[in-house]
Amino acid sequence: MYRYDEFDAQIVRDRVNQFRGQVERRLAGELLEDEFKPLRLQNGVYLQLHAYMLRVAIPYGQLNPRQLRQLARIARDYDKGYGHWTTRQNIQFNWVALKDIPDVLDLLADVEMHAIQTSGNCIRNTTTDHFAGAAADEVMDPRPWCEIIRQWSTFHPEFAFLPRKFKIAVTAAGHDRAAIRVHDIGLHMRERGGQVGFEVHVGGGQGRTPHIAAKVADFVPEGELLDYLEAIMRVYNRFGRRDNKYKARIKILVSETGEEAFRDLVEAEFEAQREAEKIALPQAEIERIHAYFAPPELAGKPATSAAFERAKAADPGFALWADANLHPHKQAGYASVTVSHKPVGGIAGDATDRQMMVVAHLAEAYGHEDIRVSHAQNLILPHVALDDMYEVYRELDAAGLATANESLISDMIVCPGLDYCNLANARSIPVGQAIAREFASLEDQADIGQLHINISGCINACGHHHVGHIGILGVDRKGEEFYQITFGGRADEKASIGQIAGPGLRAEDVPPALKRVVERYRALRTEKAERFIDVVERLGTEPFKEALYAAD
Amino acid sequence: MTSVRPKLKPDTPKTITAWDTATGRVVYMTADHGWTSDPAKLGVFTGEAGEDALEKAAAQEGIVTDPYFMEVSEDGAIAGRETLRETIRAVGPTTHPEFARAETS
Repeated sequence: MYRYDEFDAQIVRDRVNQFRGQVERRLAGELLEDEFKPLRLQNGVYLQLHAYMLRVAIPYGQLNPRQLRQLARIARDYDKGYGHWTTRQNIQFNWVALKDIPDVLDLLADVEMHAIQTSGNCIRNTTTDHFAGAAADEVMDPRPWCEIIRQWSTFHPEFAFLPRKFKIAVTAAGHDRAAIRVHDIGLHMRERGGQVGFEVHVGGGQGRTPHIAAKVADFVPEGELLDYLEAIMRVYNRFGRRDNKYKARIKILVSETGEEAFRDLVEAEFEAQREAEKIALPQAEIERIHAYFAPPELAGKPATSAAFERAKAADPGFALWADANLHPHKQAGYASVTVSHKPVGGIAGDATDRQMMVVAHLAEAYGHEDIRVSHAQNLILPHVALDDMYEVYRELDAAGLATANESLISDMIVCPGLDYCNLANARSIPVGQAIAREFASLEDQADIGQLHINISGCINACGHHHVGHIGILGVDRKGEEFYQITFGGRADEKASIGQIAGPGLRAEDVPPALKRVVERYRALRTEKAERFIDVVERLGTEPFKEALYAAD
Repeated sequence: MTSVRPKLKPDTPKTITAWDTATGRVVYMTADHGWTSDPAKLGVFTGEAGEDALEKAAAQEGIVTDPYFMEVSEDGAIAGRETLRETIRAVGPTTHPEFARAETS
């Protein structure tokens, strides 16, 4: 993974010292909240329902064990023993006192981490496939390009005050696990005639006006990527609306301008870049960054492992987990492990300090010191030998981290909702917990197969409800919580926005209604391999709307 | 500045709530314009007394952040359309009972 050079280290430390001074002035009453707010947001500090929340950047979701241990220490010493994995592959601490945040930022700087650009109207953490560098189905590793984008976008003076926040995602696999089509810019890496390049999608997003991104370029050669991104950003910075917060995202600009006209604007800006402005990233620099992401030296192994097969035969719990939570690795004899943070009835994405320590240890002992955060709020150990898998499973299981549910119905994306968030209208977490309890049997979940339920507590859609196979949106009706259901959303290469089923349901009615929907799905599928989303694609949403509102 | 919350009529009983600037913890204004983290000790204001209390709160920006009107009943219980939100603010997340406020003053 990328390592800070002396300049990176100094910039981050200087920023901590600068913020320490700003906090001192705020606490002394020398800075008013209106003056302090933009400063704290630039350092990832929000004021939420109960306390300050600190969002820490995890570039493209990659951590090493030392960093994870430091996050555990912060959770233990400055939070209530928890951290919370986010859908931008970051971590949030929900209970940090403002007076302590400079000390926390110093601890982060000690392990090459920070909270810069995790909030505000700037380019946020670039996200990617959580199996990057390991997945059997990727054409190349997207992380070096995420790092190049990170370096380009961090403290970029031209893009520090955009009309709104800006999110970029990159994937290099045929199956999109990074949700690139619902990002402001989504990049799909391609190889053409021996040359690496990017298919560029612009204007995707969720929130109150969800849009699927428009494809604006089929193939931008890698050396021109940053110039092309600058052209897009300049068009957005110039024409994006600043008069109305709700119309300020680039998705509105693309939609109001029209895809063709927007593409023409970008192309014109790209062509207009003077020679002196061109970044035209040298090949040597591209290779220098790639060198940080050299694959781990994995010992050659046969494709099958006798130890792994023996353990599966002897332990049905392990067999169930191995079927659900292992992803094919590009090297025979290895797999990528999803460390589920979705225990049945638990809180999606919450990790205790002790659990973080366990994962850090496993990454060191068995995982080549590599840990990822997925946008679905789980952790990943990307490189684990099948021979070691049972030991990894047993340690995860002892720590409550071995729920066999990756991509199954209880592996929900859930925003913090009204239990924590100052913007939320309704609670999300308890609804998710109730649904998970309704489908508690892991064997039953395995039979249902892949089914993504995403839950948001308000229209800002932090829980990605628009792109859940089943989406749930909490709304407030005269002080009462109701939940609007959508069907048919998806965030992959066939990205689409879910269709609203009808009137909202009371919280207690959601789990039984979804039970009816799932039973209808089971009755309609032609074979077990036909997923819920496939049936929606084949038959539409009508059968499921009917089941949702059917009287018992 | 103050948080953007639903407007309350002048004669609606209300208190002022905010966040302690140093810690971010929820606080309420007492009848004598001090601050408490215990909702049982909050002051109830109506009419001009409410506006006056909010003005006093806004002037204490070093101590508290984002003060705003919160609807209460005449005896100081959380009331009105935002009862759920304000109850969660007062008690803690419904999903982590162990985070419920241990101290009430």
